[in-house]
Amino acid sequence: MKTIILIATFIFTLNLTAQTPYEKGMGNAFEIWEQGKNIEAIQMFERIASVETDNWLPSYYAGLIEIIGSFTVKDEALLTTKLTRAKAFLDTASSISEDNPEILVSYALLNTAYIAFDGQKYGMTLSGENNGIYNKAETIAPNNPRVLLSKAEWDMGSAKFFGQSITPFCEDVDRAIVLFKEEKQTIPFYPYNGLDRAVEISANCKKEISPKE
Amino acid sequence: MKTLSLLLFTLIHVNLFAQNTVTGKVIDHQGVPIMGANVYLKGTYDGTATIENGLFSFETEKQGGQTLIVSSISFETYSKTAEISFFNNVIIKLKDDVNTLDAVTVNAGTFKAGDNAKVTALKPLDIVTTAGALGDFVGALQTLPGTSNVAEDGRLFVRGGDAEETQIFVDGMRVFTPYSPSANNIPSRGRLSPFLFKGITFSTGGYSAEYGQALSSVLLLNSVDEPQEEKTEIAIMSVGVGLGNTQKWNKSSLSLNTSYINLAPYQKLYSDNNKWHKPVESLGGEAVYRYRFNNDGLLKVYGAYSAVNFDLTQEDINEIDGVRFGLKNRNLYVNTSYKDFLEKDWSIATGVSFANDRSDLKFSSANITDIENSAHFKFTLNKYFSSRYKLNFGAEYFITNFTENYNDDTIENEYGFDNTIFSSFIETDIFFSKNLATKIGIRGEYSELLQEFNLSPRISLAYKSGANSQFSLAYGEFFQNPKNEYLKFNYDFTAENTTHLIANYQYVKNKQIFRAEAYYKDYNDLVKYDTPLALPISSYSNSGNGYAKGLDVFWRDNKSIKNTEYWLSYSFLDTERDYKNYPTNATPNFASKHNASIVLKRWIEAWKSQAGLSYNFASGRTFTDPNKGGFLTEQAKNFHSLNFNYAYLISQQKILYFSISNVLGTQNINGYQYANQTNTEGIFDRRTISPAADRFFFVGFFWTISDNKNDNQLDNL
Repeated sequence: MKTIILIATFIFTLNLTAQTPYEKGMGNAFEIWEQGKNIEAIQMFERIASVETDNWLPSYYAGLIEIIGSFTVKDEALLTTKLTRAKAFLDTASSISEDNPEILVSYALLNTAYIAFDGQKYGMTLSGENNGIYNKAETIAPNNPRVLLSKAEWDMGSAKFFGQSITPFCEDVDRAIVLFKEEKQTIPFYPYNGLDRAVEISANCKKEISPKE
Repeated sequence: MKTLSLLLFTLIHVNLFAQNTVTGKVIDHQGVPIMGANVYLKGTYDGTATIENGLFSFETEKQGGQTLIVSSISFETYSKTAEISFFNNVIIKLKDDVNTLDAVTVNAGTFKAGDNAKVTALKPLDIVTTAGALGDFVGALQTLPGTSNVAEDGRLFVRGGDAEETQIFVDGMRVFTPYSPSANNIPSRGRLSPFLFKGITFSTGGYSAEYGQALSSVLLLNSVDEPQEEKTEIAIMSVGVGLGNTQKWNKSSLSLNTSYINLAPYQKLYSDNNKWHKPVESLGGEAVYRYRFNNDGLLKVYGAYSAVNFDLTQEDINEIDGVRFGLKNRNLYVNTSYKDFLEKDWSIATGVSFANDRSDLKFSSANITDIENSAHFKFTLNKYFSSRYKLNFGAEYFITNFTENYNDDTIENEYGFDNTIFSSFIETDIFFSKNLATKIGIRGEYSELLQEFNLSPRISLAYKSGANSQFSLAYGEFFQNPKNEYLKFNYDFTAENTTHLIANYQYVKNKQIFRAEAYYKDYNDLVKYDTPLALPISSYSNSGNGYAKGLDVFWRDNKSIKNTEYWLSYSFLDTERDYKNYPTNATPNFASKHNASIVLKRWIEAWKSQAGLSYNFASGRTFTDPNKGGFLTEQAKNFHSLNFNYAYLISQQKILYFSISNVLGTQNINGYQYANQTNTEGIFDRRTISPAADRFFFVGFFWTISDNKNDNQLDNL
């Protein structure tokens, strides 16, 4: 018995210390990202992607950070440069993992960055494209909380624009919260995040639907 | 234990021994250090980013041949494979990425619309939301400089050229009869519905060697590759109804559209100055099928059928009872295109288009039947050597078969011709740097009917002079066979030709565009004949010639006023030609010296509405007054039109649209018709040709039914 425990402990320790270069690299990249060093984080993910040619996650994150960063860009030339680069990362990711709902949602986010920059120019074609992307993602993964949340946010935007009720989409957000809590987090570095945002949106929903409370 | 320590020690030792240091500096083509570039060995975790002075240094345990990658935003990615020891104090020069928005564009003569265009003079929505355009894809283009306002015609007249000098292409394939026929003095409309297209390139001169048989201008339309979702669309309009449906499958999709237009109710309410026996009635249907093959291949089949029917009597100064004109037209158009990416950066684009057009005309006592069958076959190959050097070449084949049957009380006759044109072209795009680029091409054409071979060189050059400005130059020669209306009577022609010289300046800064373009066009070998109309008995020659020169100015601003976009266009045109039966050089009656447009759009958030205004101005066009002698020496009064439109989004899927053209009801004059004989006082009487109606109203309700509730037909108006 003692031997078994010893071996078990040994293996466990070994695991902890002998982190694979992938785990070390990803961990490092997330750390840099959290420090707000977006460019460095993208570069780190880009390097990891050059090694992990059958893993969609590094390219996915490289693209995602680029997209998030482009929402504050004021110059169109820089915007398209960043988003073209982001799209190349997402294309790499989706060539590794086809019809992946997480990547699909990122494509929609990329389009949203264009629309947010100039709705008149990009809105007509890209908002239709986003509708298509969300429908596809929902068909592939009806119980993916991030798909549900992202789609609900998108729908809320246009409902608010037309002065319509956002209640049905708030219900979607609440359903997403349930799904977030049920989600089994088994794959390391998988983008399981989103619960905090869902809770925040749900809280805003309650304020907007019945402001007296 | 001892053994283990030894082993560990050895391992560490070996590790230490195997460390290599990769160092160097990253600079741009001018030698300026690039900071923040990502430098790493491919397939390893080893790498770093460059610091302020472009320097980098990192350690690696890798041995032997390795690939060093250097990537940085706005630069082309650098990659080099060598022994690891080579990468010590290396100087790496990154090339500018010429595919960025701030790189120079070869654009003399060209306006682009669409998301992908670097500089968008028109946005996709503009095609359908420009006041006065009335949902016609040609309408919005007429607010761009370089076009002349010919209100009674409706087609595109570019830089002193007549409407037939402009050719329209869909996905690279020719559209043979792009406009619906209409009666005299009533503008014709484009047959293609605007919502099918995602990108439009409108070239007013100096265009690519890929396109021929157009003396003045080409309009290139790219159809949508993939519809976004399944939907049904219903349109109820003051002039008719429309129904559309889109279905999507895994790899393919099908869109169907039908429309029925009947102007009878409208003309009951607002009568115009024609006597209608049968107001315009048209039935049309379009279908687009798209199939995507695994390896990026895309097949598109577009088919359209339309039937138009009307009959009216129009005033005429020489006929007390007016002139009766009736027309039945049916038109079938099929366009099939296929594009695919092949190995080693080759790509292919090929297609076939076919048109069958039959018109039965009744003109006074004559009955005329025109049948035109035309086909276009095209095959092009494209080689992408690098982002700096591309080669495009191909061959095409045109077949036209035209017959006319004419009969009235006294004669019956048949005319016609068969013509085939074989052409091939080769063209290259070269970027010398981010600031200097050129496009050089040559096109050869052989016409079987004219038994003639023509060679047209085309060249354009662009230089970026500052962060926001650039200059472009273009030169080209263009050939076009004489029109069907001459070829049906005579074949002994040579192709008409023109030479374009264009200089362009463009300034683009965040949502503002300024563009000025000067041009000179030299026309030669224009067709001449010696009778009042082109007739079988006329004697024809190619002795005509002419010129056109002018300046086009464009300003668009989407920034200065919140929620408002506007653009201004001004064109100055000086042109004279001696062609047709002109006794001398003269400015043709479709060319006005000054043309100007102002287009304004405002999104009104609180009302969920977009309001649009446009104002068109054209200086008076020429006419001949037989009382004064001379030829095309008189000038009619100026043209003014103020148009308004309003789109109200009831909900995401329901839109109410209203538009009115010529709000102020300005009494415009399209020209004059003089009597053939003098009256008792020895004067030729005249009749003013004014538009059929001063104003035109349009009200429509558009409803989209789809799974997703955000979609609407705003892009369909």
